[in-house]
Amino acid sequence: MQSKKLGWLLLSPTLFILGLFGIFPFIYVLWVSFHEWNPFAANPEKLFNWAANYRKLVFDAQFLASLGVTLAFVFFAVVSEVVIGYILAQAFMKDFPGKAFFRTIHTLPLIMAPIIVGSIWKLMTTPSIGIIPHLLKNFGIDLNIGQSAIAAFCITVIMDIWHWTPLVTLSLIAALVSLPADPFEQAQIDGANKRQIFWHITLPMIRPALIATVFIRLMDAMRTVDEVLMLTGGGPGSATRYVGVHIYKEVFPKTNYGYGSAISVIVLYLTIVICWLLYTSLIAPRNKRG
Amino acid sequence: MFLKPKAGLTALAVALMTSALPAHADFWSDAGAKYKGVVLHGVTESSPPSAYIKDVLAPEFEAKTGIKVDIETTSWDQMYDKAIKDMEAGTGIYDMVYIEQDIIYAYLQRNFLVNVSKALADNPALKAPTYDESHFTTFANYFKNGDGDLFGVPMEAFIKVYLYRTDLFNDPAIQAAFKEKTGADLKPATTHEEYTAIADFFTEYGKANGLELWGSTAQAHTGHPASWYEFFESVAPTFGVYNWGIDASNNYAASVANGGTMNSDKAKEALKWWLHLRDIAPPESPQSTWTETATTFAAGRAAQGLIYGENAAWIASDASKSKVVGNVGTALPPLSDGVMADAESGKGYIGYYDGGAFGLPASSKNQEAALLFLQYIGQDEVQPGWAAAAPRITNTATYDAPVVKEMNAKLGGYYDMLRDQGKLFAGAPPYPFHAQVREATAPIFYDILTGKIGPDEGLDAMAAKAEEELTSLGYRK
Repeated sequence: MQSKKLGWLLLSPTLFILGLFGIFPFIYVLWVSFHEWNPFAANPEKLFNWAANYRKLVFDAQFLASLGVTLAFVFFAVVSEVVIGYILAQAFMKDFPGKAFFRTIHTLPLIMAPIIVGSIWKLMTTPSIGIIPHLLKNFGIDLNIGQSAIAAFCITVIMDIWHWTPLVTLSLIAALVSLPADPFEQAQIDGANKRQIFWHITLPMIRPALIATVFIRLMDAMRTVDEVLMLTGGGPGSATRYVGVHIYKEVFPKTNYGYGSAISVIVLYLTIVICWLLYTSLIAPRNKRG
Repeated sequence: MFLKPKAGLTALAVALMTSALPAHADFWSDAGAKYKGVVLHGVTESSPPSAYIKDVLAPEFEAKTGIKVDIETTSWDQMYDKAIKDMEAGTGIYDMVYIEQDIIYAYLQRNFLVNVSKALADNPALKAPTYDESHFTTFANYFKNGDGDLFGVPMEAFIKVYLYRTDLFNDPAIQAAFKEKTGADLKPATTHEEYTAIADFFTEYGKANGLELWGSTAQAHTGHPASWYEFFESVAPTFGVYNWGIDASNNYAASVANGGTMNSDKAKEALKWWLHLRDIAPPESPQSTWTETATTFAAGRAAQGLIYGENAAWIASDASKSKVVGNVGTALPPLSDGVMADAESGKGYIGYYDGGAFGLPASSKNQEAALLFLQYIGQDEVQPGWAAAAPRITNTATYDAPVVKEMNAKLGGYYDMLRDQGKLFAGAPPYPFHAQVREATAPIFYDILTGKIGPDEGLDAMAAKAEEELTSLGYRK
């Protein structure tokens, strides 16, 4: 009994901080989402409106469009990051001259604040001064992310890959390093080729780390705001108005606190659903078999 | 950072000047003694006038009063976020907030601000002998309530002006080429047709001669409200569409069908005119806000353009940042028939008179000390150096300062225009729903810019959306 009490006592600071900074704000956002509240409306008071905000967003074309581009962004960014991250992790498992240097350079974007990343890419893509449009001009490509929706979308995806692939690489290096050598040696003795070793040994063994990394990146990508706001402002038009940017514009400049909170709650719910789907399709069946 | 050497010299000059006025010098130390050690926190937009406050006026004030002033300069949208959240929650983080002219009506409606006039009248011991509200230019009227009480001390005021390259406009070879092509003399445009002809000419001229030169700037960002502002506050008024096309006296009607003008023929004509300019402007225009149009002009990439006056000084005089120093002329924007008459009669206006003030949040916990600082930056004595560092004039006497007259010559008479013709320009309409209507309609506007929707249907949709938003906010019945 004594040790149980001590356990709770030791846990209490963590629970207090979690409640104060995690659970309470969430409950508050949930509460606000059931209100009509704009401090600059003719009536600035919070008015309880049941689920009207949730009903509205189901038919809100702008929100649905923003959700659509977000899912596309998440898909392309996360898949690319995982693939490139794995290839780089495998490369960094081998020894080559300048490995430490390349590994450091590769990790640098990870330590940059998202707003700085957005600024750097804005400078690199501005037609008059940017290095990227300048180089692409040599190939007859006229890059202008202020005009082309596809170009703007692609650049935001590439920016995200540039920023976050190192996280995937580091996670997978950690997973690869911890793998035991025996199964690989045994497979080689049995005559398995590289593809077979990858599908039947490496991938299953790093699956937990891989899935955890995908979850982290998926959740992060779903709430992307800073880089994109700095780079494109959500444009051209609504081409890169991802849900994070949409929520920002709804809550901050437009001060539509009630509706913005409802969108936030729904996006959180969707993120949980997507993660749950991934979990049930990739992890749970394996655990059942196991 | 470019301000610092200049700012330092000015600080020294102002310090020497004020030290020669012992009666006034005593006031600040006496009044400040009670608040010694207090730290005032302010938030403002990162702009040349704000940088001067942070780098020059705040340290000066601190030296004289012992009151420390911490000024946070940030981006325009972040500044609003921080100030509104603080005042809405009543946390009292900030003792001074920058109030752009367009947000004052929203703040007043929410009683966010302290009535500066009343606070000083109620507490005469805090009233500085060198501070006088009557010394402000008429721009201060934007920060007054119906009783004439001031809710913010003006700190910047400028007009969005028509800048043109005098080296290009005065070049005999170019003048001859222009005459041959258009049959007209090359001079600053007074009509939209003339402006277009000049813009077309220079874009073609740049292309033909392999120059990085285009006919006009265009603040046409496809995802930032700067483009929305350029159209509704600077372009549409020159075609006779005022107050964003919303008629406040007519149940906040925006659509023509209900009595508004947001989707009127004039508005549609204005939008098509501006879209053409955007098409022949430098390629960075779809990513340009007010800052980038200034840098585009300063880089010598545009022959003419509508540029915020706060940038005019460095464009015209700072060779470390501008390639067109000494080659900048200023003029009134091109106008449609009847617009000048409307502006002179007070029915309309010809362009945007921008600016802002420092206000005192009702939630501040250091209101008395903050009142001292607001008066400090509102004195005539500190204005000349400030105006030279950033082209803003808020006090009438500043126009006569030698340093301002000198700068006026470099700026092609910009200050004369501000003084004599500033009355023809206007700030944002007095709407408490400024950002809300802008944000509701902006996505449609961005779609017009990308060509996803045509300008005619786009403006129709924007007018409908504006009315829908105004109804939702409870202003339109």
